[in-house]
Amino acid sequence: MTKHRYLVFGLLACLIVAACGGSGSSGGVKPATGGVLTIDNESGGLWACGFNPFNASVNGLSFGIVYEPLVYDNLLSDKKTPMLASAYQWSSDSKSLTFTIRSGVQWSDGQPFSAADVVYTFNLIKQNSALDLQSVWSVLSSVTQEGSDKVLMTFAQSAVPYLYQIADQVPIVPQHIWSTIKDPVGENDPSPIGTGPFTVGQCTPQNISYSRNPTYWQKGLPYLQTVNYPAFTDNDPANQFLAAGQAQWGGQFIPNIDTYYVAKDKAHNHYWFPPIDNIDLWLNQTAPPLNNKAVRQALAFSIDRGSVSQKGEYGYEPAGNQTGVLTPTFTSWLDSGQLSKYSYKFDPTKAASLLQGAGYAKNSSGIFADSSGKALSFTVISIAGYTDWDASLEVVKSNFKQVGIDLKVVDQSSNDYFNNLFNGNFQLAYGSLATPPGPSPYYELRNTLHSATTADIGQTAAGDYGRYKNPALDSLLDQFGATTDPAQQHKLMNQVEGIMLEDVPVIPVTEGVAWYEWTTKGFAGWPTPSDQYAAPAPWNLPDWEVVLLHLYKTS
Amino acid sequence: MSYLVRRLEFFVITLWAALTINFLLPRFMPGNPAEAMLVRFHGRANPQAVKTMEIAFGIHTDQNALQQYLQYLGNTLQGNFGTSLTFFPSSVGKVIMLGLPWTVGLVGTATVIAFVLGTLVGMLSAWRRGGFLDAILPPVFIVISAFPYFWIGMLCLLLFSITWPWFPLGFGYQVDSSINLSWAFAGDVIWHAFLPALTIVVTSIGGWILTMRNTMITTLAEDYVKMARAKGLSPIRIMLMYAGRNAILPNLTGFAMSLGFVISGAILVEIVFNYPGLGFMLLQAVNNEDFALMQALFLLITVAVLVAVLAADMLTAWLDPRTREAA
Repeated sequence: MTKHRYLVFGLLACLIVAACGGSGSSGGVKPATGGVLTIDNESGGLWACGFNPFNASVNGLSFGIVYEPLVYDNLLSDKKTPMLASAYQWSSDSKSLTFTIRSGVQWSDGQPFSAADVVYTFNLIKQNSALDLQSVWSVLSSVTQEGSDKVLMTFAQSAVPYLYQIADQVPIVPQHIWSTIKDPVGENDPSPIGTGPFTVGQCTPQNISYSRNPTYWQKGLPYLQTVNYPAFTDNDPANQFLAAGQAQWGGQFIPNIDTYYVAKDKAHNHYWFPPIDNIDLWLNQTAPPLNNKAVRQALAFSIDRGSVSQKGEYGYEPAGNQTGVLTPTFTSWLDSGQLSKYSYKFDPTKAASLLQGAGYAKNSSGIFADSSGKALSFTVISIAGYTDWDASLEVVKSNFKQVGIDLKVVDQSSNDYFNNLFNGNFQLAYGSLATPPGPSPYYELRNTLHSATTADIGQTAAGDYGRYKNPALDSLLDQFGATTDPAQQHKLMNQVEGIMLEDVPVIPVTEGVAWYEWTTKGFAGWPTPSDQYAAPAPWNLPDWEVVLLHLYKTS
Repeated sequence: MSYLVRRLEFFVITLWAALTINFLLPRFMPGNPAEAMLVRFHGRANPQAVKTMEIAFGIHTDQNALQQYLQYLGNTLQGNFGTSLTFFPSSVGKVIMLGLPWTVGLVGTATVIAFVLGTLVGMLSAWRRGGFLDAILPPVFIVISAFPYFWIGMLCLLLFSITWPWFPLGFGYQVDSSINLSWAFAGDVIWHAFLPALTIVVTSIGGWILTMRNTMITTLAEDYVKMARAKGLSPIRIMLMYAGRNAILPNLTGFAMSLGFVISGAILVEIVFNYPGLGFMLLQAVNNEDFALMQALFLLITVAVLVAVLAADMLTAWLDPRTREAA
């Protein structure tokens, strides 16, 4: 598939000449109710018209715009906006959290929403752990109602950053409906009742049509009357649909996007790919030579990240850096002083001297070997069919070769790959963390490095696939989780970055992005690099709700 | 009569064998559905959550194979195919109905059109061997049928949907229209099906033309055709009832087979035209190790092929009296 894909894209791009004049800027138009917006996102299958917000394969169709969270926490900036909770307060020891539940909100069937619904929802996912997609009950100890409008949550230990998972990532469902459902895990939920700005109108295997909720609690919102979400089984037709102007909001990879999409209508078509996680080279540290710090540092000097980004990812996914802090998304967290002190760039001389310092010498074929003559040769696993990763690893392979390190790339089926990754059956592995990203570097770095997330070889690890163990680092991350003071958090994060730079437990190579394409033809209010009010991909949950609340039609 | 009874016996035994193989095959595949679920979540699921999901899916690793087999046979005969993993928690029956009407409608119609047209063209070009028709059509369509499906499909899309936007860019009907029984909707469906159907017809017609033309040429040299000519029968009657009736027999079985395989859809056509069919679903079921959906789809294909072959056998018995006597 992939080979012809690029060929045909090239063909289309050459043959179609952008002919749209465009009507200039949309400024000055006052938002009014109305308009039909179409989302364009590869779904990989037909719609089965189920909307259970706790079912990870369909929650992208209901969580946010139908079922809302307590607090919206911007994935890109960690800026929090109260939603179903009008306020929240941590106790002084950060072990209990009190939400004040908003009044005047009603479910789309007209029933009033209350604190009891929130308590019900959290206890529902406690009783049915398959519904607890964020594992919030791994830190919670109880959720109870206090008075008429307060919900008290208590924790076994301080877990301040978990506010993101609890308040932003758990959809609140109505008790009066869900308490009548016998099997909430096997529930299809074909006609969901939520508090959100949209309700499900018509659903066919080919398209879901969402209609404006006229009784939505944010008065006057949403502006849009209808949102269409067609099912695309593959990238190609989705990209054609978007480029033809039949959809307005895209969320997928488009090769040669400047010619294929932007050039069709230069005045209106845009894209923006903000980084949301790292694509790492995982180093299994349970066996030599990767348990040797000097070797790990040498590897970090042996990758031309810029070249990987350009050749492997079209430059769409920017180069990563060794602190693991995403730039530009989380630049405010980056300790650039330390980063430049270590200056991990592609430097074969530096890598060679580190390896020589660790007792390695080049053998007759130009590959470094240890004192026993064993050549420095690694095997890296990747996912078959991820052609961008294959191209990236080709660059890494030739970089390594220049230094004098041998690399073999093994593509595995995604089942085998994840199994091996989680169980630690690899030497090097290329890929991102399987747990969802978060609104600050803490979330990814904790899941990448904290020994509480790892497991023995042969056991499933939730994170830290390289089996890195460092009590000092664990303690830093635990302290981070116990404080609400930003200054203190930054101090701790800088120390974590110092360990990333010094120990090289994992090598961030490029940064995974949220794919986002939009047109200002007919619609305004889009998130942009200068107005990052939400993570912009239609599959960023629940951020897409916030985007749809901002959009309005201009013509 | 005994011919038909033997065909029926054969049908039942083959069906049982197919059911059994259908039960065994997925279980020999490596991996387990929980890992497959992870991929479905784009690798963004918590392994613990997947573990609990696995329990929720009711993957019975505790039952022995015989118990599972008997349960499977019982459920299948009752038309109960279980719950799809990919489309959890929808039942397999419901999931299949999402795509079945579209696949049968599009691929089925296109296959019939290709067969009828191909047979007619093959017959005519053999009848006027070396004539104008014979010089143009068979070579052209045989060359076209060597092109891959998706290439022709993309070319059609490029020419007739993008360069000249006469036809839609994809889908089985107007994206936001509801499914109903009205003339307007029927017209919409035909308008959307035109390019995908054209692709299938154009790429598959060559095979029918070639086989029909070749058997027809052999048949035309038979003594009974010469006899018919000598009797002074009308050329049309000779072409259709004497030569054509005999020449079509080998093609008929091939046609039955291809009708059976209609169920498996045309994956590439579905992908290119984003058509709501079963082919892509089958691919997804295999990728996600969705045993229940896979079994139901394979079973559907097998049964369709068997039924079609049975029907072809009966048709052959009617067209060719010799099969009836060779008991």
